[in-house]
Amino acid sequence: MPSTLLIAFPKGRLGDELVPLLAQTPLALDAAALKSRVLRIPTATPGVAALLLKGADLPRYVAAGVACLGIVGSDTLDELDMDLLELADLGFGACRLSLCALAGVSLDSLRAKPHLRLATKFPKATEAWLTREGLTAELVPLSSSAELAPLLGLADAIVDLVQTGGTLKAHGLVETAVLGRSSARLVAGRGAYLSEPGRIRPLAESLIQALRLPPA
Amino acid sequence: MAVRTPHFPDLLFGSAARLRAWEGALMGLLAAQGYRELHPSLVLREAVPEGGLRFFDGDELVALRWDFTVSLAGLLARSFPEPPPRVSYAGAVFRRPVQPWEAVERFEVGCERIQSDDEDGAGADLELARLLMAIPGALGLKSAILHLGNAALVRKPLEAEGLFGELASAVVAALSRRAPHRVAEVMDGHPAAARMTAHAQALLSDLDGTKTLDALSSSPYAHLLQGEREHLQRTLQDLLPILPPNLELRMDLADVAGLDFYTGPTLRLWAPGAQQELAAGGRYDSLFPGLGRPWKAAGFCVRLSRLLDLAATRPDLFEQP
Repeated sequence: MPSTLLIAFPKGRLGDELVPLLAQTPLALDAAALKSRVLRIPTATPGVAALLLKGADLPRYVAAGVACLGIVGSDTLDELDMDLLELADLGFGACRLSLCALAGVSLDSLRAKPHLRLATKFPKATEAWLTREGLTAELVPLSSSAELAPLLGLADAIVDLVQTGGTLKAHGLVETAVLGRSSARLVAGRGAYLSEPGRIRPLAESLIQALRLPPA
Repeated sequence: MAVRTPHFPDLLFGSAARLRAWEGALMGLLAAQGYRELHPSLVLREAVPEGGLRFFDGDELVALRWDFTVSLAGLLARSFPEPPPRVSYAGAVFRRPVQPWEAVERFEVGCERIQSDDEDGAGADLELARLLMAIPGALGLKSAILHLGNAALVRKPLEAEGLFGELASAVVAALSRRAPHRVAEVMDGHPAAARMTAHAQALLSDLDGTKTLDALSSSPYAHLLQGEREHLQRTLQDLLPILPPNLELRMDLADVAGLDFYTGPTLRLWAPGAQQELAAGGRYDSLFPGLGRPWKAAGFCVRLSRLLDLAATRPDLFEQP
């Protein structure tokens, strides 16, 4: 039996919210290790360590059984559609997946375009929305800094995550439609959870207890 | 779906010997319980679904056997006026993998319990559960977990609410993820949203024995599912006294894998630390009526290829020969 249980935690926006929430809990991350460049961090619980991973990679580590649990945004889960158990909606990291365009560009004017171009790193959610709306569009795949695309003529609009709207405002963009909502989810590998429930469930429950925000 | 990493395993001495020994042990176990072997042809000439491994034999499109249960059902419906009650099988099936690490050629041993439609299925379900309980010992697994479920726990409420098609698939996908909050999301705005969400919470509330069955009473569909609850209760009462020391019995009420195929009780065998189930089965009463035979059927399949992989990666889970 592997001696150390690994939990996959996200780097970036979700990770920045996660680390303070874990402080003072049995799964608090080792502060000295966090300041270093190592990506495997001890927690306050012996035998449990955290892996710091990019959101897009994280589900693969959990699905393959390398990490028994993970925390990842529901937007990432929906895009990857991997075989994972989703044990809880933790509530934090809440944001909207929105269609955003330059101020003054309306949703109707975007609909009326004969050749609509949308830049996004969420092609699956964007295609689903286009289908629901009866629209067609050329998707421009981007992995970051999508806000630049409408400014520089790469696309007519973007589909991206919006939390406070500050980045949009800084680039002269506004939300024209909300496609969906995202928040942090606790995920587990199907095999790990079903074959070793006695080991994994207590850990999952302590994470939920430490992290779940009350419903708004 | 394209095969990205074809995997046709060559078994070297140790694995070949283990496969032969396991096949022999399991077929012996089944024979001792009255199961007689049938061996459907490796080459199929009928239409095969997506996922089969197809090729041309001259001008004729043929496929390799992709599923024993389906192959056996065709053979039985064609060849027997009355159902042989107990059938076993062993060999390979060939299937395009869904996950890139899965093999194309997979070794299996399994059994089927077939009855005319006026016979009681509960006794057969129990017989199969008892048989599956003996499998870990025959394989030399040090410990195992048997999950009991019932496909009707999800099928019946979906049908009662008139939920079919994409919405039903979305509910099933949410249950497969064990995410009642996703059930609430996909049902948002539907008149049955609160009921289905409460039902999902009941199904997912616990994985431990009788407490799990108690949780069913909090479901809005508790009355509709009374028969299934009693069946599970009886199964527990029958199996717990004869549980081998290294086998754990668990209820998994949210088992929705194969929900389009299974119609009643389901069985899944896991080993602690295994990433995939090692055996699976259940009741599938709609298979033979679809072939023009008024027969009921249930069975399970032991996935020997997964066991071979597990023995290679986690030898500590097996008794040393």
